[in-house]
Order: sequence, then C-alpha cells, then structure tokens
Amino acid sequence: MLEVRDLRVRYGKHVALEGVSLKVGAGQMVAILGANGAGKSSLLNAIAGRIPTQGGDIAFEGQSLADVPTHALVERGIAIVPEGRGIFPALTVADNLSLGAIPERARASADGMRADVFELFPRLAERRAQIAGTMSGGEQQMVAIGRALMSAPKLLLLDEPSLGLAPIVAKEVFAALKRIRDTGLTVLVVEQNARATLALADFAYLVEAGRVTGSGPAAELRSDPAVVRAFLGGAMASET
Amino acid sequence: MLTTLILGLVLGGTYALLALGLTLQYGIARIMNLAYGELTLIAAFVVVAAFQAAGIPPLAALIAVVPAGYALGWVLYTVMMRPLVARSESRGRLEIDSILATFGLLFLIQGVLLVSFGANFTSISYLDRGVNVFGVSVALNRLIAFGICVVAAGALIWALARTRWGLVMRAVALTPGSAPLVGIDVNRVARQGFALGTALAAAGGVSVAMYQTFSATGGVVFTMKALVIVIMGGVGNVAGALIAGLALGLIETFVSTTIDPGLTMAATFLIFLIVLLWRPQGLFGRG
Repeated sequence: MLEVRDLRVRYGKHVALEGVSLKVGAGQMVAILGANGAGKSSLLNAIAGRIPTQGGDIAFEGQSLADVPTHALVERGIAIVPEGRGIFPALTVADNLSLGAIPERARASADGMRADVFELFPRLAERRAQIAGTMSGGEQQMVAIGRALMSAPKLLLLDEPSLGLAPIVAKEVFAALKRIRDTGLTVLVVEQNARATLALADFAYLVEAGRVTGSGPAAELRSDPAVVRAFLGGAMASET
Repeated sequence: MLTTLILGLVLGGTYALLALGLTLQYGIARIMNLAYGELTLIAAFVVVAAFQAAGIPPLAALIAVVPAGYALGWVLYTVMMRPLVARSESRGRLEIDSILATFGLLFLIQGVLLVSFGANFTSISYLDRGVNVFGVSVALNRLIAFGICVVAAGALIWALARTRWGLVMRAVALTPGSAPLVGIDVNRVARQGFALGTALAAAGGVSVAMYQTFSATGGVVFTMKALVIVIMGGVGNVAGALIAGLALGLIETFVSTTIDPGLTMAATFLIFLIVLLWRPQGLFGRG
C-alpha cells in the first residue's frame, strides 16, 4: 500500500535520512523504532509531505506522493497524527472531530465514524463539549487519533502517540491502537516505546542515524538478542 | 435621548459592518489591511456614480457591488498578498509586510479615486424621507443601511457558528498550523476570508453612500474606526466586533449631540486608548 524507496532528507548540512526504504502492506501495522534523533519523525513527516525531501520516492497505492501537499494527502486516504498532536486546542472535542471529516471522501461516513470513535474512546463522548486544549495530554491524544479516524483513512500515520504520557495513560493509548489494528486499518507508527509497539505490530523497521539497520516480523524482533539489548534493554527484564 | 439611541445604533451598524470585514481579513488571512477604507470608498463612489448617471438605486447596486467586492478581494489576495504570504516564515513578518503593502495600496486607490471622482464631498438624496420609529423620525435610507448591517452580520455570525464552512474558517483563524492535517488548504481559505472581507467592505460602502457625505480622501477614517472596533471587540472575534461597532456608533452620536460634534474622533480614540491600556486583548477576548 505504501512504499518508500531510498528516501533522503537533509536539514541544511545535517543529514536526517540517508536512503531509507520500507514497505507497508494493506491491513498491516508496521512500526518504526529508534532512539531520539534517529530520524523516525523525519521519515513520517516526509511521507506526510510536511518537510521537503532531497531524493528517493514515496508511493501510495502505486502513485507517487512527491509534490503532494499535506492537505491533499487526507483526501487520498492518509490520516496523520503528528508529534505534538496537531489538534485545534481552542475548539471543542466535537468540533475537532467534525473537522476530521472535512475531506470530501469522509463526509458520507462521518456519523458512523463518530459513533465508532466514541465507542473507541468513551471519554471523548462524555467530553464532547469540552474545549480540547483544556484536556489532559492523554485525552488530547485521543482527540488527535479520533480526528484522524474521522477522515475514514486507508492508512493511519502515528508519530510517537505515547510521547509524554504517564505510563497508565500510554497503556490506554496502546490498547486503543490494538483495537484500531483489529479493525483491519493499515497503520504506520513511529515509537520510542519498543516493547509495547512490538507487542502490537506485524512488522517493524529499526532506524539508527538515518538508516534502516534492521527489519523483520515483530514477533521475531521481540526475541532477537541484539534488538533486546539495543531497544528493549533492562525494561524488558524488569517486567518479565 | 431616544433619538440619540436610534441614530447611534444606525451609525454603529455601518461601523460594525466595516469592522466585520476587517476582522475577517485579519483573523483568517492574517493581513492587516490599511487600504480597507479605500475599498469601502470604491464601492461608495461606484454606487453614487451609478445613481447619478443611470438612476440605479443603491439597493439594486448592492446586488452587483458585493460580489464585485468579493472578486476584487480575490484578485488582490492572489496578485498582491499571496507572494507576501509565500515568503514569510513567521506570522510577525507577514503582519509587517502586509501593513506596508496595504499602506501603499491605500494611496494608489486614493489617487485613482481623486482622478476619477475629484476631491469634493459627495452625497446623494435617496429615500431620505422620515419614518417614525418609536416616535423618532429617522430617514428611511438610514434604516435600510441598518437593515443591510443586521442581515449581513447576522448571516455571517450564523454561518461561522453553525456551518461546515464556518468551522473551517474558525479552524484556520485559530490554529492554521493544524489545518492541513484535516485536509484544509490554508491558502485557499485565506483567499476566501480576504475576499469575503472585501465584500463586506463593499457592503459597508453601499451603506455609507446611502446616507453619509464622504470624499476620496476620507477612507482612512473608516479604516481607523474599523480598526478601533476590531481591537475593542477582540481581534478575530466577530460577535465582539458587532457589539463594539454598535457601541462606537452610540458613543459618537451621544458625544456629538450632548457635548460637541467636533469631539467625536477624540472620544473614539480616547476609548481606544483606554481599551488598549486596560484590556489589550479586547473587551470580549480573541475570537
């Protein structure tokens, strides 16, 4: 469904991505794992058309996304939950969700989608009249994910959905991601929390210093000693 | 007292209409348009010329002038503002650039108006017979001008609050950075907002032409009053601009009837200064 070939991104002299390639098949949940500054977010932002690229190609359903601005991606079926969430803090939860259904393709299914989002996040249903900016970080993340789902996407891009959340709230977000995955939606997620993400994903890519240094089915990576050492570390030992 | 109240509300209605357009342009397109009053004057002069030359009544002209204002705003944004938007990395830069650019536009339009219509004060006699409103005789043209304000402002406030179009406008005004994430083309919406603001300037110009005396060099007064109202009502706050506009009309009428007509501008700016010092975010906060 999504194919990235030899993608290069530079910020001035700093090289963020040096020839990254990856594939996301329909119905898959694919994770991009890596440490802070490895280039994960640059990769997602390049796919989302939010930063310029210096080489390579991104194709969605066989069509190149080069020069497609961010706002046009939503109409093609790509929904983005960026780092920092990108919600409308001054508007209500209900307005934020309605804005998610602004694209032409989402209008007919908006009412059904809203019901699905409220089922996924009952808290949003209770708080639909609340100004989104006054909610907790976890609730704002729910607004961002719910809004992305409102656009009836074929592909959902998530950038660090658990970043800055208390562990118990992050757990809630991952539980929601599991339910989203189970609906069959194709998901590409960038995360630092490798353990929780590998438990959900079908396939994962490991990114270090702007390159893909490893990839494989999530189940295999979970038991790969090198991955455990580099990405899962002592946290795994403490939990098991 | 009742006379002051009614005449004040009528005057305030025109001010509010003018301020709504300015606040839309600033709130949505991020352009502080100093040539706003001149755009109003173009409409006013066109209405007067059509009335004097062809006998076209201002109310009929309204139907053509408002869409023409929208089209002019669309062209102005595309030709003049879009390059400024494209090269500005920050909001502050765009504000400064747009102030300078529209300051130039002000004199350009003023020059064209002076050449075309001369420097004399202009007014027309149109439906100026008195109508009894609660025992006060008010000229019919003023009532119609007030009616235009009520209808235009009411429709705008309703559309912004209740329609999908309005939600998109508010989203861009409040958080332009997030708008592309939901498929909104910010540039297109900004152009619409600027064009709609110009259409409101044109509607205001029709109201002005119907009952006021004006000249080609007087546009800046409209811009200043609209600006005062926008800041008093809270930048980008449409309902605030409406209330502040009506209030300014009342205050000006009150000052000119009870104190001295020469002090109306002074009173306006005294209030403006007080608001700026005491509540810089406006009486009703940001929209």
